[in-house]
Order: sequence, then C-alpha cells, then structure tokens
Amino acid sequence: MSIVRDQILGIVYQCIDELNEQLAPEQQLRKAPHTGLFGDSGMLDSLGFVNFVALVEDKCESCFRVALSLTEDSANQGDASPFESVGELADFIRQLLVNKKAIEE
Amino acid sequence: MVKGLLVSDFNVENLSAYLKNDVSEPRVDTPAIPYGQIGRALLDPSLPCWQSDLDFIVIWTRPEAVLETFGNLLAFSSVDVKRLYEEVDEYAAHLLAIGHRAKVIFVPTWVVPTLHQGHGMLDLAPRVGISRALLQINLRLLENLERASNIVPLNASKWIEAAGEKAFNSRLWYMAKVPFANEVFKAAAKDIKAALRGFGGRSRKLVIVDLDDTLWGGIVGDQGWENLTLGGHDPVGEALVDFQRELKTLTRRGVVLAIVSKNEESVALEAIRKHPEMVLRLDDFAAWRIDWSDKAANIVDVVEELSLGLDSVVFIDDSPVERARVRDALPDVLVPEWPADRRLYPHALRSLDCFDKPTISDEDRHRSGMYVTERRRVELKHEAGTLEEWLRNLSIVVTVESLNVANVARVVQLLNKTNQFNLSTRRVTGPELLAWASRDGRQLWAFRVGDKFGDSGLTGIASVEREGSRARIEDFVLSCRVMGRKVEETMLHIAVEWSREAGLEELYAVYKPTPKNKPCVEFLRTSGLQARAEHVFAWPLRQEYPVCPEIRLIYQTGGLEEMSTDGAEDPDRRT
Repeated sequence: MSIVRDQILGIVYQCIDELNEQLAPEQQLRKAPHTGLFGDSGMLDSLGFVNFVALVEDKCESCFRVALSLTEDSANQGDASPFESVGELADFIRQLLVNKKAIEE
Repeated sequence: MVKGLLVSDFNVENLSAYLKNDVSEPRVDTPAIPYGQIGRALLDPSLPCWQSDLDFIVIWTRPEAVLETFGNLLAFSSVDVKRLYEEVDEYAAHLLAIGHRAKVIFVPTWVVPTLHQGHGMLDLAPRVGISRALLQINLRLLENLERASNIVPLNASKWIEAAGEKAFNSRLWYMAKVPFANEVFKAAAKDIKAALRGFGGRSRKLVIVDLDDTLWGGIVGDQGWENLTLGGHDPVGEALVDFQRELKTLTRRGVVLAIVSKNEESVALEAIRKHPEMVLRLDDFAAWRIDWSDKAANIVDVVEELSLGLDSVVFIDDSPVERARVRDALPDVLVPEWPADRRLYPHALRSLDCFDKPTISDEDRHRSGMYVTERRRVELKHEAGTLEEWLRNLSIVVTVESLNVANVARVVQLLNKTNQFNLSTRRVTGPELLAWASRDGRQLWAFRVGDKFGDSGLTGIASVEREGSRARIEDFVLSCRVMGRKVEETMLHIAVEWSREAGLEELYAVYKPTPKNKPCVEFLRTSGLQARAEHVFAWPLRQEYPVCPEIRLIYQTGGLEEMSTDGAEDPDRRT
C-alpha cells in the first residue's frame, strides 16, 4: 500500500515540477506532503489549481489506466477537501483508485 | 524589461506565465486581457490595456471564434469560400489597424483540434473540408498581413506538433477555457522569446566550430584527411555532410562561420582543401585559429578580428570538457549541449533558435563572403605604408542615398542591430522610421560602401533634424565592417553640407552612452567637431567639413516621397 502511495506522491511531485515552471520563484510549491495546495493554507490561485488538477489527472490516467475527475469526485465525498495538502491529495487519489479497482486495497 | 500584451479569445494566462518566468533575455512582462473580449479589444482604442507603450502584442485566436463561417464549417455546414475569405480579410484589417500600437505584433496561425479533423476523405474536400479551409484561411491571413512589416505571423502548427497527441487538452478547456496543453504554450513562449531577441538585434551572428569529431569524424592529425569519416555510404559520414550543409545554409541567413580547433594548422587546412566530401571550404570561413592554444582565448581573438561581440557567438564542439571551459570563461558565448551521437548533429543545429531574425537582406546573404574579402583587405593594409596609401589602394566608393523603397528594410535592420558605432542606439520599426523621416526638417541618408575587393553593402546611416537655426544629428551609425576607412568623416561631410545648404548655423551631436557604443564617441572626439559638453559635439556651419580625397562619392536620387508611410506599401517584408 505504501508503495502505491509513494508512487502517487511521485506523480504529484512531477506535476509540481511542471507547474513550478509557470510560477515565480516565491510562488513555487515545495515537493513535500505537508505543502498546502488550495484553500486556507493553499499556495495556488484558481488557474494554478486548475492547471495542477489537469496535470495530476492526465498523469494518473497514463500511469493507472483509469480516468479520474478529482474535483467531481471530491465534491461527492463531502465536506473535507482533499486539496488542502499534497499528502491529503495523494491519500485521496489512492482511495479513488481503490474504489475504481485500478489498484488493490 | 520588455512590455507585452496578450490578446486572445481563450484563456492565455498560461502563456503569460511561461513568458514571465522564462529567465532567458529579454525578460518580459506580459499581462493578458480577459479572454473573450477580443472584438472589443481590437475595436476600442480607449481600453486601459492600450494606454501604455507596448513593445509587443500577441494576438492568438481560434478560427471559429473570429470567423463565423468557419464555425459553421465545424458544424458540418457547407460554406462559401468567398464568404470565408471576406471574414479573414475583415479580421486582418482589424489587425492591420492596430499595427501602430506596439513595435511588433505576433499572430500565431490558426489551428484546429484534431477531434474536428475526423472527416476522413472529406477533410480536404471543397466547401466542407475543415483542414482544407484551415489551409485556405491561414494562407489568406498571411497574405493580408504581409502589408505590415511589424506584424509577424508565427507558425502555431509547430507548437502543436511539439506537444504531440495531447496538444489539445479537454480538461483545461472545460475547467478554465484553456484549449492547449502546457507543452504548446511552452513551445510558443520559446518561439516568441527567440523572435523578441531577433527584433532586439540579439540574434547570434557567428558560429565557431571545432574540427575533429565535429566538422568531420575522426582525428585528422592521427588518421590523415584521407581516412576521415565524411560522406560516403556511412550513416555518420552522411550525417556530417548534412551538418556541414546546415552550416552552409546558415551563412545564407547572415551567419558567419569560423573555426577554433586544437590541431596543426597546415594539416587541418589541407583536409579542408582536399577532402572531396567537404561541403565547407576555406572561403566559407571568415576566420580560424587552429593551434594548441586555449580555445576560450582563441574565440576572443576571432571575435576581435571580426569586430563582433561575444554575445553574438555560438560555439559548437563535441568535447564536453572544451564546452565547459568556454562556458565558464566566456558566459556570453552560447555553448549548446551537443549530442554524443554524430548522426544527431544536423538536428541539433536545426533546433537552435538563436539565429531568428525578422528579415533577411541581400547583405545578410553575402555577409560571409564580405568577411573573406575583409581578410584580404587587412592583408593589403599590412603591405601598405600609410593610411592614405592604403585607402588609395582600396579605391573606396561611397554611395549616398536617401531613405527609399529599396533600402528601408536594410536601414531598419542596421539601425536596430548596430551597437558599437551608434550615436543614440535608437531602435525603431519600419513604420516608425518612415513616420519619423517623413516630417519636415528631417533627413536621413543611407551609405553604401564598396572598394576593389567588393561591395560591403549598406553599412552607414546618418540622420539630422532641424531645430531652429541648428541641426541635431539623430542617428550616426556605421557597421564595424567599414570603420576606420574615413567613411565616418564622409558621413559627417554629407550632414554638414545639407545643414549649410539649409542656411543653418551649427550642426551638433549628442552622444548617448551605452555599455557598447564607445567607438562612436572615440570617433567624435577625434573628428574635428568641437566638444561643447561631456557628450555634446558641434560643428560651426560657416566652415565646410572636408571630404576625404581618397574616397569617391556618388549621390543617388530617389527618396521618401516615393513611398507611403502607412505601412500599406511598406517594403520591409520578410523575404
């Protein structure tokens, strides 16, 4: 299980690298599980967030052969946003992949 | 900081972000107008976005957003090509009308997502074929935009190709109205930055190559020229011939070639002369340093000989050690990473975007040959005793022309790229210069210089503006190729004569220092003009300014009155 989470974190970090090319140095995201993404502690504006989500969805689809719609799926999950931090997003993606039977529990 | 503006019917903020965060020169600031307001932006000059001085604008649209008929075509309606062309013409007219709002306007060509190109055999059919219509509207747009020298179409298909099958991103489109994947915007930003460097006169002008395992395969000193890998039925040999052809192609774009190699000079030159598969011969190289000295020192030497700057140099060498040495010692020299596989050399050279220029003139095409004749001139100078004797032997002819249809493109190019002998380092577009020169009391001359070795082309510019009883020299520009041959004095003579005939009392020049234009002030200090203040030099017009007796002067008539200044007849076109 942790191997998959690490794999997902690796994908998210790749997306951070790509996103950082669009950001000024002081706005760039650190590749760490506690890095805030969107929301109260988030670093991203709305377009940055959209770019990031699209990147993560594209890369997960290539890697796990399953289509994800992170914003739609997060809306269905209730109050807690999975976009508060990189670590929470990785956990959320792992759970989605389990639900879609792309990986085993 | 170069100031730009992005105008688009879609969300183009990602391009803005890549442009702003690209650390290569020039640094740019490029806000984007809110998407979806393209019509208003083009039609309303009172919008705040137009109120500041803009260096460049990018106007990037989707065809279905600006051409109603093309939108109908996407819905598989049969369309009338004539109507389609009318809409393209109308759109192009809007672009031409805002041409004056920035020094340069970039217009990416129209592209269509591949999902719209699933019409199979009908895709290229008349009236319904989307790809056919796309080709037609792009060509029509290009033909329209040729009328303005500062509107530059950019090939967006290239950016789509670079991004591959995921170039069009449906996720980004539906979430944020961003139609393209970021790879497309990255490729676009790279092209736009290269184009800005070209317009700013920062394109590279000199390629210095190594020899062994760079220009040919193998070590000539060990193997002899007969055993080098070059040409023949060999993948590496063929690739190296192609690499040489690509270098030769660059010389037709105004790029000069030189050699810096650690070798025995006689052995290396013999290989260049005798190897039957060599595409490049000695006359293709403006200079060479073939010895065992440090390559960085030799590059400096070559650059000084050719009167170029280190920031105009690209150095190509197969050795990572030599590349690192030159990068370290000469940070202004561009040293591209070079593939270890020699079959990839031609592609690596073609991939360099540092030679981008907005126009190619006849002088560009013949520059390499000019440097070869310059080498012969220098040889003659060493043989001649005095400067006057040398000038007499050269048989210099200076032809004076006013700004006209035939020379405006070259004048603008020379004005924008000359750094060293340049009084004011004014940078202008063709329309700006035409507008400036068309006002009463202003005069601009272009100077062509030739001698018994050949034609150096249009290499000098002087312009003056009348101010009451005085005249001020606005531009005083000379290519370093002809500096030190009394052409400078000849240019001053012309400006003085014009001012005397106008009945003025004084001609003066204000030198605007830059990090590079010291040669100009050094000339002014020794020119005979009187120093009035630290950077002000003047000539009292009661006296003639002497013309150099060794130079033959020819006046050519035909000036600005023969051409339009609205850009409609502007000859400053890309060729």
